[in-house]
Amino acid sequence: MSQPVDKIGNWLALPVVAALTALCLAPLLILFVYSFFQVDFVTILHEPTFANYAKVAGSETYRGLIARAFGSALLVVGITAIIGYPVAWFIAKRVVAAKSTFLTLLLVPLYSGDLVRIFAWRVLLGAEGAVNRSLMWLGVTDTPFGGLLFSPLATHIALTYNYLPFMVIGLWLAFESLDDAWTEAAADLGAPAVDRFRRVTLPLTLPGLIAGGLMVFVMVAGDYLTPQLLGGASGITIISAVNDLFGTAFDWPLGSAIAWTMLAILMLCFGVGALAIRRSSFISEGT
Amino acid sequence: MTALHNSTQTKESDRQGRPLLEAKGLFKSYGKVEAVSGVDFSLAENSYVTLLGPSGCGKTSILRMIGGFEDVTSGALVLDNVRMDHIPAAKRPINTVFQNYALFPHLSVAENVAFGLSYQNVPKSEISKRALDALKTVRMDALADRRPRQLSGGQQQRVALARAIVNAPRLLLLDEPLSALDRRMRKDMQIELKELQRRLGMTFLHVTHDQEEAFALSDWIIVMHDGRIEQQGRPEEIYACPSTAYVADFIGGATCVFGEVVEREGDKVVIDTPIGRHLVPGVSTLSTGAPAALCLRPEQLTLAKAGIAAHVKSCVFRGSDWIIECEAADQVMQVVVGVNPPAQGALVHVHFDPDRAWVAAASRGDL
Amino acid sequence: MDRRNFFKTAMASVALGALFPASRAFADTDILWMTWENLAKDDYLSPFLSTSDVSLTKTFIGTDDEQFAKLRAGGASSVDLITPGLDKVEFYTASDLLQPIDFDKVPNAALLYDTFKKTPLGKVDGETYGIPFYWGINPIVYRADLMDEEPDWSVFFEGDKYDGKLAMRDYALEGIMIAAMYLGIPEEEMFDLDDAQLAEVKKVLMIQKSKLRTYWNSIGDLTNLFATGEVVCAFSWVPPYYDLRAKGIDMGMAKPKEGVIGWCDTIAVPKGVTGDRLDATFELVNYLLGPEYGKKLAVGGPYAQSTSAARDMLSAEEQEKIFINDLSVMDNFVWKKNPPRYNEWVALWNEVKAS
Repeated sequence: MSQPVDKIGNWLALPVVAALTALCLAPLLILFVYSFFQVDFVTILHEPTFANYAKVAGSETYRGLIARAFGSALLVVGITAIIGYPVAWFIAKRVVAAKSTFLTLLLVPLYSGDLVRIFAWRVLLGAEGAVNRSLMWLGVTDTPFGGLLFSPLATHIALTYNYLPFMVIGLWLAFESLDDAWTEAAADLGAPAVDRFRRVTLPLTLPGLIAGGLMVFVMVAGDYLTPQLLGGASGITIISAVNDLFGTAFDWPLGSAIAWTMLAILMLCFGVGALAIRRSSFISEGT
Repeated sequence: MTALHNSTQTKESDRQGRPLLEAKGLFKSYGKVEAVSGVDFSLAENSYVTLLGPSGCGKTSILRMIGGFEDVTSGALVLDNVRMDHIPAAKRPINTVFQNYALFPHLSVAENVAFGLSYQNVPKSEISKRALDALKTVRMDALADRRPRQLSGGQQQRVALARAIVNAPRLLLLDEPLSALDRRMRKDMQIELKELQRRLGMTFLHVTHDQEEAFALSDWIIVMHDGRIEQQGRPEEIYACPSTAYVADFIGGATCVFGEVVEREGDKVVIDTPIGRHLVPGVSTLSTGAPAALCLRPEQLTLAKAGIAAHVKSCVFRGSDWIIECEAADQVMQVVVGVNPPAQGALVHVHFDPDRAWVAAASRGDL
Repeated sequence: MDRRNFFKTAMASVALGALFPASRAFADTDILWMTWENLAKDDYLSPFLSTSDVSLTKTFIGTDDEQFAKLRAGGASSVDLITPGLDKVEFYTASDLLQPIDFDKVPNAALLYDTFKKTPLGKVDGETYGIPFYWGINPIVYRADLMDEEPDWSVFFEGDKYDGKLAMRDYALEGIMIAAMYLGIPEEEMFDLDDAQLAEVKKVLMIQKSKLRTYWNSIGDLTNLFATGEVVCAFSWVPPYYDLRAKGIDMGMAKPKEGVIGWCDTIAVPKGVTGDRLDATFELVNYLLGPEYGKKLAVGGPYAQSTSAARDMLSAEEQEKIFINDLSVMDNFVWKKNPPRYNEWVALWNEVKAS
């Protein structure tokens, strides 16, 4: 009975799936093809070459910027995980009636938009900002700290703030499906709190940590606005360098090559992450 | 049976030496809801004790307080003469078999069993051997490398047992351990649990709502009702001499005919009920004028030429016999009949031996 | 000219179809102008539209590069008029996207200031492809209340008095031009720096970076930084100077004697435009270089038109605001050009920033 209906559903879904696939993949494929071309002033030379990738690998600047992007991403994943664990645990295990309120509160900053949040941090961390005023009022310092704003510190504070909700949501979902009996069993068997976390909670919430971590990782690696507006003179990112190459320099091939290098590394991370989630989700391997 | 009636009920402390665990005036409330309302009991060494009662009676709260998963609201828990209600769960020499086993899904069977040993003074080299020994005890050593999700319910149950007993706890808590198993598996596991307790000489405290299970396993049964202990004693005592109508009804499904004590005559009381006045053995604390219940078990009733006149309401075939429901003076009684059940609506006479019946305490509200 | 994220460029070809209204096909004298929003205000254009048969559709650009990407991606056939920077016209002509200006149809072009008549930019083989349209300067803007003396380019490279309070635009072309002017490299060599000169430029830019509070990307952002005192002196555009003075902050504007960076946008006609549409387009171009438009732009912008058409209609104060009261200021201008080794400039700029 339901089979014809299912078939109709498949057919109806087909154009949407096809359109989405095309829209998602086409630009990436165009980038991929371009990454093997070369440019002479404003003329794209359609002669396949690996020169662009060689240039990326050979350039200390681009290598450094790529490493910095992923280093920053890892750092922020780490910080958001450390903050996210207690928050997610609290929402999942201690909040009963107001759960949706807490989750909404967590997401409110996301509704306000990137720029608004970045400028809010400017206000907080600036020379005349709330943090400096408080420090001066408390007598900690006579002159405002210039280093708060326009520094890697400011960038990473804002990045953590921006992407924390994604980590918390990943972990929250994991905690929701974490049976309290497991941690109780660990306590029952003599495990102190640290071991209960290390040996039971951590491995059993690992899928959530990986999912949240991947989201944060990708978004931090791709965020150029926050470093640009809060990072000061050292706020350059690989993304803004790619932007320069596409825009002012009209070097689309080199820009594409860097973009694809980033994509390849991200896809590798996703692959490893997906594998880890599958391994840690304890689906029976069949008997 | 009569001999039992005549003896005073045993105190569990008389059973064997000093108690392993004592609960003194134990209270547990969640906000305004009182789950356990002042409970006293003690557990003897090397015994199988059951906390029996319907869901919501507070039995699980008691188990969780002993395990250390819930704080004690007031009262004390004393284990081996040391107060332990402020000691964290991880430091109590007590282990638990959880209702849904709570096996760690990310660890193999062997790793699950070895988990607790890393917190005992067991040399590293010996841990896996001990874990395997524990698995042998429950005949699960062949599946030591499996993950819990690859096991059947009964197999998981055995692993959970092995994981708990491998630590040689002073007390083993079992929270409705058989409720997730099918009937046949449950019977097999009951025998195994009892046998295991004997072999280990360990005290088991088992929570269940199934009175048959309690009778099959226990040396001692604590019947709970509404956060209080309704009665505790040896299974035979509880069955034969229920102290209240509630216990009589919950254990063995006795028909309780409510009435009033007219007079006491030694161990027996005269009770006035809608089905007549009878001289029957009863609870020793019943005084004249007290509300009481005449407890009649189906197997104690027979159909006879003379007796209480009743109408047959229904007959249910049980295989080996029939259960007849008949009504007299608005009281419904169940009678077991071997052959030739009467027709529905027929007039019958119900007979019972007053010496084999029992009078339990009741409250005014039951009348 | 905000940076836009690179996806806009990359996706330009995909999005192009959606950008242009399909209804354009049947309106012969309806022309499409791709330009900056502040140049195509209805008030500026109403005198023209009310007296001609031409109707106008506008599409706005966020950056020059975006405009080029759209044109290259196939937009040339549907756009009638574009607004590239004077230094960028070369990109379009090299890509064969433009047609020469027919000066017979643009009589107001005779009024172009000499500088614009003589400039080789925007021309190929004597033919003009991008006709200078409006111009201005990118000066040093500073908080006069927080600085003791009027700065010149050296403030970004020497001394430590303003360390951590300076800002530089995040733009390789201008950044390297300023370093070259500071180093005294003459204009003839400025856009054709050799390796030794580039190395020298890099060295001073590294020093500059250590003095900066930040590189700025949007003029609104820079205005904020001036207002809060985070930045006291920056290579800037003109607007923060007027905006913050209007708010009562004592701002200064310096035009360094080593050279002032002048900018100029042109109007150019894509290759595919023909017939009635071409005539209508030149009609519009002529209006844009004429007195009515020039006066409105000078008052409303305030920006200077590239012709003298409206100059005499403006008060001395209005002239002052757009730097045309004393035209000798132009002698000091260094017009932006596209350097042949621009890719290397961008790489150098990124190296400095990433160091």
